[in-house]
Amino acid sequence: MTATATPVPAQSRVSGWLGAATSTDHKRIGLNLGLCSLAFFALGGLFALLMRSQIAQPNEHFVSDNTYNQLFTMHGSTMIYLFVTPMAIALALYLVPLQIGAASLTAPRLASTGFWVWLCGGLIMESSWLTADGAGRAGWFSYVPLSNGTNTPGVGQDLWVMGVLLAAIGMWVMGGCVVATIGRRRAPGMSLMRMPVFTWTALASMLMVLGAFPALIIVMSLLFIDRHGGHIFVGFNGEIDYQDLFWFFGHPVVYVMFFPYLGAAAEAISVNSHKRWFGYGAFVGSIMLFAALSMSVWAHHMFVTGGVTNQYFAFTSTALAVPAGIEYFDAIATMVGGSLVLRTSMLFGITFFVQFLIGGLTGIFVASPVLDYHVNSSYFVIGHFHYTLFAGSVFGFFAGVYHWFPKVTGALLRESLGKLQLAIMIVGTNMTFFPMFILGEDGMSRRISRYPTHPGWGTLNLIESIAAGIIALGVLTFLVNVFVSLRTRVPAGPDPWLGQTLEWAAPSPPPPLNFDGPLPPIRSYAPLLDLRHERHDRQSHEARQEIAS
Amino acid sequence: MTGNRAAAALVDTRHEYQHLFSIYVPIAIGVFAVIVLAIAFCVLRYRRRPVERAARWNENNRLEGAYALALAGVVVFLLYLTFTAEHRVDTVSAREKPSVIIDVVAAKWEWSFRYRSYGITRRSGTVGRQALVVPTGEAIRFNLSSVDVIHGFWIPEIRFKRDVFPGITQSVTLMFPSAGSFQAQCSEFCGLRHADMLFDVRAVTPSAFASWARSGGKATVS
Repeated sequence: MTATATPVPAQSRVSGWLGAATSTDHKRIGLNLGLCSLAFFALGGLFALLMRSQIAQPNEHFVSDNTYNQLFTMHGSTMIYLFVTPMAIALALYLVPLQIGAASLTAPRLASTGFWVWLCGGLIMESSWLTADGAGRAGWFSYVPLSNGTNTPGVGQDLWVMGVLLAAIGMWVMGGCVVATIGRRRAPGMSLMRMPVFTWTALASMLMVLGAFPALIIVMSLLFIDRHGGHIFVGFNGEIDYQDLFWFFGHPVVYVMFFPYLGAAAEAISVNSHKRWFGYGAFVGSIMLFAALSMSVWAHHMFVTGGVTNQYFAFTSTALAVPAGIEYFDAIATMVGGSLVLRTSMLFGITFFVQFLIGGLTGIFVASPVLDYHVNSSYFVIGHFHYTLFAGSVFGFFAGVYHWFPKVTGALLRESLGKLQLAIMIVGTNMTFFPMFILGEDGMSRRISRYPTHPGWGTLNLIESIAAGIIALGVLTFLVNVFVSLRTRVPAGPDPWLGQTLEWAAPSPPPPLNFDGPLPPIRSYAPLLDLRHERHDRQSHEARQEIAS
Repeated sequence: MTGNRAAAALVDTRHEYQHLFSIYVPIAIGVFAVIVLAIAFCVLRYRRRPVERAARWNENNRLEGAYALALAGVVVFLLYLTFTAEHRVDTVSAREKPSVIIDVVAAKWEWSFRYRSYGITRRSGTVGRQALVVPTGEAIRFNLSSVDVIHGFWIPEIRFKRDVFPGITQSVTLMFPSAGSFQAQCSEFCGLRHADMLFDVRAVTPSAFASWARSGGKATVS
């Protein structure tokens, strides 16, 4: 191996804002991406609150139909293209080199370029709000012919298309850098089957970025041409082609938005159980099977089009239950026999698994065409994917934040505020998203700014709208926690939780080249746990010998 | 129609859905309960033990393999049920001989329902609210087409929808098992006034439908 020959990036000659903006340090790029994603999260959350205000009651006139259509389009687009997906990449950029014992990223300048391209895409997308005809307003998947130049004319929708295109290119490039880093920068001894669980989830995720994002890049390019007289997506076949291409990206991205957060929850659970992750080999196999299968399930979004082979996609989609079930088995078996510390990160990790399960089980439900014929495009589906993306991924994200914040900043977050945030968010999340299953089953269509005064609908929607505010309160509690914890710092030290993977062998925060001394020997996917076990065994052996002599 | 015997043989989408639902939902609730109980057990049983007591075992591939096989078994069972139901909803129903044919044309932002044999056209959406009148217990062929963007023809009462595309006419054969008045709404986002693409379905007895149709759609249906 050539780990010693790893080219070392020159120390940045500029400091301050310019230094941070031009840095080639993977941690800085990851932080830049993560912080910008968080800002977009706040923006997307604001859109959600405005939407929920409009539909809190059946026939409100808080915003116009046109504004509402822009709000749900931009809420979905912001959350998917500018928060959950890039945040998954940000976690990978920051953590993967540390976990595999690398000093830097492969092609860091390319990764930095990817970040800037993505950010430009995000800003271009949001700038569509400033145009005379308003922001993108054809939905986050912008089906043709609704999104073409005839049905949604104007610069706003063009900016939306260009924004998505650039964001996709940026994320594709960054994903490639993570994969290359895993391929080329692993420390001596760090074989593939010794990579930490999070790194495996990041690898599965970034491989999917590489495989699926080109479809989005192509379909957005074609949509742009189509909008300007290109006549690309013509007739029924053209419309189905658009949906096939879009969902060939659109479903894998769901798992890009899931795996790294699963990895974060898994690390939090194994560290706080003081046991290594259970069933590593099976887990790695299942995550790769998961990734492979999820590249072949896309047309379950199209069961009601009459243009796809429903049985095939029902088969692949339902089969996802097998690898998903293995992940749950591993999570529970990791806790069995452990020594559990119920820190905030652990509780977020557990909540991730419990709440995501509701999203996963309803996913099996919508994978059945006959059931989907009723619930497709209804609030049932909205409930389903918010349980995966918000009740799942965002809780996994916070598990990761509470777990790695001390590593990134050198300071501990406040546990009491963290648990308060968790409690608020559990209440808010389930009150917001669970009633959606009932509404959808009862026939409420998605994306409507006003709805009929059907018995019960007003009440359930009002509950959801109030609870959306509770979620916002939870996020606010988190921001207060960050503020308090950084102002009055409780130093974390390199390894506050008895970590198991290499990032905990680095100082907190890690210096520019990550490790300030030799790496510990890497003999498994939990090298620091191995060391502790060895030390413990040696001590008890010596103690026994002392007694014997 | 020859009455109940023919009606009983027709595919009932509401029944197919509810049958599947009644099997999927208990399985989902059962799985959820088992996993939540297992997690709760772990949390209560293994919290705050000395770190040294944490077990070191970390694999049991035989057990996990058996578990994966059991999961695969559940998947096969669910797929069998789904495929059986889907065959009836998609294939068997299409072979039924319809007693009424209705051309459904979707446009921004209204539905029009044309009863070709009776020379009746009903419209609902931003232009007003004329109900789609159908006979109960009979096969009805809907020819779905759109003049502009994709719309969604969804009748929650019978648990069925099909997207309505421009440039193609797709046919579905549906049956309304019981009489009543039901709300329905466009399910595929279709632009500015998507929320107004509502319509009511009035399912009436075949004889009431016949007299309504004979009157050219002018008689009130009860």
